[in-house]
Amino acid sequence: MKSSSTGGVGRSWQSTATVSCSGKRIQKEMRELNLEAPPHSSAGPKGDNLYHWVATLIAPQGTPYQGGIFFLDIAFPVDYPFRPPQVLFKTRIFHCNVDSAGNVALDILKDGWSPALTISKLLLALTSLLSNPDPYKPLVPGIAHLYLEDKAKHNELAAEWTRRFAR
Amino acid sequence: MAFDSVTNAKDFAKKKKANRSAKLKQCKLDARRHQWLSQVNNQERKDQVDVSGGIQVSPTHGRNERDRVVKISEMNSGNGEHDGSVQHYSDSDSSSHSRISHSCSVGGSHFSGTSFTGSGGSSRSSSSSGRSVSGIMSEEEDDDNNDDDDGCVDDWEAVADAMAASDAKQQQEQNKPFQESPSEHENVNKLNCPPEFPNSQLLEVDIPKPKAENRKAWRPDDAFRPQSLPTLLKQHSFPIKLERHSGSGGVTCAIGISTQSSCPICCEDLDFTDSSFLPCYCGFRLCLFCHKRILEEDGRCPGCRKKYEHDGITCEGNGNFAEGSSPYRFARSYSMITKS
Repeated sequence: MKSSSTGGVGRSWQSTATVSCSGKRIQKEMRELNLEAPPHSSAGPKGDNLYHWVATLIAPQGTPYQGGIFFLDIAFPVDYPFRPPQVLFKTRIFHCNVDSAGNVALDILKDGWSPALTISKLLLALTSLLSNPDPYKPLVPGIAHLYLEDKAKHNELAAEWTRRFAR
Repeated sequence: MAFDSVTNAKDFAKKKKANRSAKLKQCKLDARRHQWLSQVNNQERKDQVDVSGGIQVSPTHGRNERDRVVKISEMNSGNGEHDGSVQHYSDSDSSSHSRISHSCSVGGSHFSGTSFTGSGGSSRSSSSSGRSVSGIMSEEEDDDNNDDDDGCVDDWEAVADAMAASDAKQQQEQNKPFQESPSEHENVNKLNCPPEFPNSQLLEVDIPKPKAENRKAWRPDDAFRPQSLPTLLKQHSFPIKLERHSGSGGVTCAIGISTQSSCPICCEDLDFTDSSFLPCYCGFRLCLFCHKRILEEDGRCPGCRKKYEHDGITCEGNGNFAEGSSPYRFARSYSMITKS
């Protein structure tokens, strides 16, 4: 039950209750995102499925990624607020915390998740991650190493990847 | 006492006819039993009623003698019960009051304090309370019956005629209900109908009345409503809350009510229990369902990501959550927070 990320299927009474619970929460977050989205980002359901969202991040100015628009996939687990959503970068990015498959290394998406967090806060954290990569908890050690050793080179490569993939 | 027995006899005759028309059913008998239970509380009141009811004297001599014996024995047992069973009534009040007629209003005011605190247990099982209460009574009555066995035998036969409907359940409790039944009939009939009615009319009119009376729920503005009855507002919530009201006091509750209207986790509306529930020092509020769920998993507060304090208390409550005891424990832990 917990492993299946796309919700909506209630096998038992317990899981049905969980689905409706998470559904209400996700709908509320959707309403709030429509009312006021965090700066430089947006998010919403991909299609009919409430549990599968698409989000966009517009990289903040002053970063090597500026001008780039990054698409993300957000998959809500059926027990959503109690388990973190799964976030995947669909746009390639030269970032030490995002691997080539798009997986994101962010503590609030793993152990640091709290049910009190929302997608809005998550998008804010991801925007912040673009500004401030964390080379000490890297997902791509090569990029982290480059970031620590030669930041200029790192930024140059990041800007080039952004031009190539994110525009 | 003379008036008493006379009117009793008349009522018996009426009852008999009513029963022959087969309108007395088991539910009614149960309702009576509740009334009988409350009747003992109201022995003194009966005298006043008798004065007003004395107008309708229509003696049926055959029964008169028997009733006199019944009455005396009843008074004896009633006096004896007054001392022993007061505590018992305070417990049964909250569960049986909905069926009790006016007599309870007196008893209710006496015991409103005790029954309020005791209502947590009894009102939870209110549906089955009739049985359990009567069980207790029959135990108590064993003692009383030793004193007045003689009167009891007569009594049993007299009322067995009148009641006509006998089943196994009643057989078990025969001693108790029949001992007090005369006064019960009397009260119901007299309170329900004006005394100036002719006797023949009484027969037809007021027999169905007790039925309707018994089924009716108390209205909040009812003058005879027992004070021990919980108000409707309180009934909406769990009985545990009543316990908390008296347990931890109104002050902590007043502080605990937050302006937050819905749980930030599940977005469901917070009820009173939830909004007065503060599980963590950081002040992050959530509903009890989400809190339980979090305790089952990592047990960290969503607001500050620290482990929930009072782990021993909450975990202990978590174990028997289904029994409804844990919210009370939570409340206690919460009140500790506000005091410190």
